[in-house]
Amino acid sequence: MSSLYERLGGEAAVNAAVELFYRKVLADGRIAHFFDGVDMESQIAKQKSFLTMAFGGPNNYTGADMRNAHKRLVDKGLNDSHVDAVIENLNYTLRDLGVPETEVKEVANLANSVRDDVLNR
Amino acid sequence: MTLVTHEGRAVDVAPGETVLEALLRAGVNAPHSCRAGNCQSCMHRAIDGAPPPQSQSGLTDAQKAMGYFLPCICRPTTPLTILRPDDLGARFEAVVRAIDPLNEDIVRLRVEADGFAYRPGQFIELSAGEDLKRHYSLASHPEEDPFLEMHIRLHQDGRMSRHLAEKLRAGDTLHVAGPSGSCFYEGVHEDQPMLLIGAGTGLAPIYGVLRDALRKGHRGQIRLYHGARSSKGLYLSEELQALSNVRDNVDYRPCAFDPSAPHGGDVAATALEAEQSVSDAAIFLCGGENLVKRLKRELFMRGASLKNIRSDAFTPAR
Repeated sequence: MSSLYERLGGEAAVNAAVELFYRKVLADGRIAHFFDGVDMESQIAKQKSFLTMAFGGPNNYTGADMRNAHKRLVDKGLNDSHVDAVIENLNYTLRDLGVPETEVKEVANLANSVRDDVLNR
Repeated sequence: MTLVTHEGRAVDVAPGETVLEALLRAGVNAPHSCRAGNCQSCMHRAIDGAPPPQSQSGLTDAQKAMGYFLPCICRPTTPLTILRPDDLGARFEAVVRAIDPLNEDIVRLRVEADGFAYRPGQFIELSAGEDLKRHYSLASHPEEDPFLEMHIRLHQDGRMSRHLAEKLRAGDTLHVAGPSGSCFYEGVHEDQPMLLIGAGTGLAPIYGVLRDALRKGHRGQIRLYHGARSSKGLYLSEELQALSNVRDNVDYRPCAFDPSAPHGGDVAATALEAEQSVSDAAIFLCGGENLVKRLKRELFMRGASLKNIRSDAFTPAR
């Protein structure tokens, strides 16, 4: 059985998904305000990192990296409902790209696995 | 062993080792995060030597052309001289050739800087002294002009403005460093539609890009929007109008603030109203920070790829 990352199509799949995903996030009134004023180029690179992790691809993130990266946002009120919204947008993105439901669930589970680190708890 | 020179210091990269690992081992405080070539936190620029193509994965065509690469996935086999992304490298002497008014408050500064390589539309740091440095975009073309050309708005209390207006004369020496920025034609496909939007002296890089596109035989449609506070601010408009009359694929759309103009003459609103289909376009945005941010986001949301949007946002001098 090949890995989730290989089944999804590897880096090409991340590249195909990243702008679609970022557009959905920016259009989502529940979470868009967390991205006000950010530099879009560096943000898309971060989104790519996140998707690579969620797709089961190569990454060296530690829990501490996740905590540090989101601390400022937690201080601004980032909570479970926002993580839910991000995962929801991720699911829609994958379905738009024709990814089967089994893989959509696996990706959602991986994304969900960093929830506590992201929320600094 | 492969030699990497980082800010004048030699660092050996062991076989199989990445440039990031070698820098960290040598005690260089190099920024990094994912160590997998995704987050781009560690990005550096090679000013001598070619980084392996794999180390430029995920970067834009413009970044690749400028030598940017990701040290965390870079295993070099030939020597490299690398700089932090914000390091401008060597300074060059620049002799003032002419300072001429383009309109009431914008002047055209031309300086001669032998050996200074750049792409039209990039920006440089111009210094008239250790504590008097500003960034300006280049409207000149290195293969057509024996000088660097900048368009500079004169601010009443600006130090550089006063220096330019009151002290500087032809023959005086300044210094330039850089170039920086990804506003240049290289990497655009010759059949791609181009959307150029500049406000105020943001026309300078746009004009440089336009000249380079035409010189390189660009065939796709080019629409150029220039915004100004009043019609007097629309400098170079005769040249651009003439160009758009003789070239089938060039369309010049000046927008000046005027209550009777459509959208009140707001260049961003005018361009967004007219440009509904942008997903294939090569887009260049130059002007104030708010304008550039607004246009970048709007155009991205309606389908433009960030890879195809190049921008320079002007920030006021402190």
